[in-house]
Amino acid sequence: MYTYDIDALKQLLGLIMHDNISPDVLAWLMKQGNSNNTAAFHAAFVMMPRKTGRLTISVTPVQITQLNTIRPNFNIEGWTADRLGRVFLLTLADAIDRSHYLKVIESLFRAGEMNELVALYSALPLLAYPESWAMRCAEGIRSNIGNVLEAIMYRNPYPSEQLSADAWNQLVMKAIFTEKEIGLIIGLYERNNAELARILLDHARERGAAGRTVPTELWKLAQQFTEAGLIDKLKQDYQLN
Amino acid sequence: MCCSRSVENEYHPEVVPELFDISAIKGMKFFDPHVHMTSRTTDDYQAMADAGVVALIEPAFWLGQPRTGLDSFRDYYSSLIGWERFRSSQFGIKHYCTIGLNSREANNEALAEQVMEILPLFIYKEGVVGVGEIGFDDQTAAEEKYYRLQLDLAKEAGLPVQVHTPHRDKKRGTQRSMDIAVEHGLNPYSVIVDHNNEETVKEVLDRGFWAAFTIYPFTKMGNQRMVEIVKQYGSERIMINSAADWGISDPLAVPKTAALMQQQGISTGDIERVTYRNAITAFAQSGQIDETEFSSTIDQSTKFAGNSILRGGQQPRIDKSSIIIS
Repeated sequence: MYTYDIDALKQLLGLIMHDNISPDVLAWLMKQGNSNNTAAFHAAFVMMPRKTGRLTISVTPVQITQLNTIRPNFNIEGWTADRLGRVFLLTLADAIDRSHYLKVIESLFRAGEMNELVALYSALPLLAYPESWAMRCAEGIRSNIGNVLEAIMYRNPYPSEQLSADAWNQLVMKAIFTEKEIGLIIGLYERNNAELARILLDHARERGAAGRTVPTELWKLAQQFTEAGLIDKLKQDYQLN
Repeated sequence: MCCSRSVENEYHPEVVPELFDISAIKGMKFFDPHVHMTSRTTDDYQAMADAGVVALIEPAFWLGQPRTGLDSFRDYYSSLIGWERFRSSQFGIKHYCTIGLNSREANNEALAEQVMEILPLFIYKEGVVGVGEIGFDDQTAAEEKYYRLQLDLAKEAGLPVQVHTPHRDKKRGTQRSMDIAVEHGLNPYSVIVDHNNEETVKEVLDRGFWAAFTIYPFTKMGNQRMVEIVKQYGSERIMINSAADWGISDPLAVPKTAALMQQQGISTGDIERVTYRNAITAFAQSGQIDETEFSSTIDQSTKFAGNSILRGGQQPRIDKSSIIIS
């Protein structure tokens, strides 16, 4: 079901929650994990900010390291309490019955508002049956809401682990197109490929023809799969940076 | 909600209207507690922001034609708390909404039953400041049934109620809406009765409800009439809105009415209450309105570095007077 030690992770997230919310809210939260009661589980997820507030959480460097050990590349720095509360709640869900588990969480995606979607996409690397969420992740990349895209693109190990090559290329292109910080994408060079290089250079030509610029990361990515000199010529032809 | 009607009959080209001078209300802040932005363009958002609208409430309503399936409702509610909220934030306007099953579509009972089942998934969401707009349209038995069920839902969730009052048989429909709300144990102070006019306002205020007025050409209140109402009734528990939608309506109705009130000697305090403060006081009973989140500053959980589209920041402005589009 899980690719990592879920019990260790739940324990650690519980401790971090403990440091950031009041004892009675934590007590409430710990009781909300019964995902077999779909309505109650959904309500708990939705009303999280009313319980936890929305302040940015504090997390120690030791906790960050521990998290990264339990679930490589998983990072919660800068998250708000409601975001972490929601992700924590999802880890408490009962995952034994695969189809019920997928259904309960998929309905949250279908009715999610922006902050809920941010939490849901942030939770992808922690969900059970990781291969089952690849289509959902690809769907998220079609979003036009900046924060939702950033939840998928920034410091999220899920996309590079599970997306198909086409979906991955779409993620990178969308990040460039929407002027995201490319450097925060995990697995950028590990998943780099010739097809992506071709798409990137086509994009550079299109931008050049319109008198617009491209980010420098584009050249770095394309370079790996491009014969020497081609990029310099392209830059010269289109007067690009 | 609006209804169609012949425009020609109302148009008097020989009368030269006074121009709306936006500088008259410079520095004032407005809250439009009823406006259907889904039906409006980005130009409207920019004009509203320029005129001082810092926050608004978009009530769930019908879309001009009936929906035929549950998923259309689900997607509509999702869009109010999702895409529309984001779109609004790009113009520096804080977007809230009320969620409910409108009266017209309550008459499709098979569908209404299904909608009732998904409402709990939406009313607890952040920024949902009430159950609305609900109430009567034709005043049928089905409308009454779902009005009552949603009053119970609002009570359970601790949310204010935004009540739509009917175009036809308005006075009686308004009275019934209030009677039923009281019967269901709602505090009148948590109920905003919308689309009032000269005939309904007194009873609404006397019974302790909030009286909202929709400044909407031809079919609802004109703003000169509104000035007279404030002169007569003052500003306690009175608020105005545009209810701008896909009909001939004006998303600047609130700032324009403020300008007219100012011109005609209504005090600054009264103007502030009916165009800003009262709506906040009424709907903040949801616990979902935080004034510090208004204006162009983005809420604490939203980053915005830089100024470009899709960053949670604001839309770049374009010079519309230029023939060049780049």
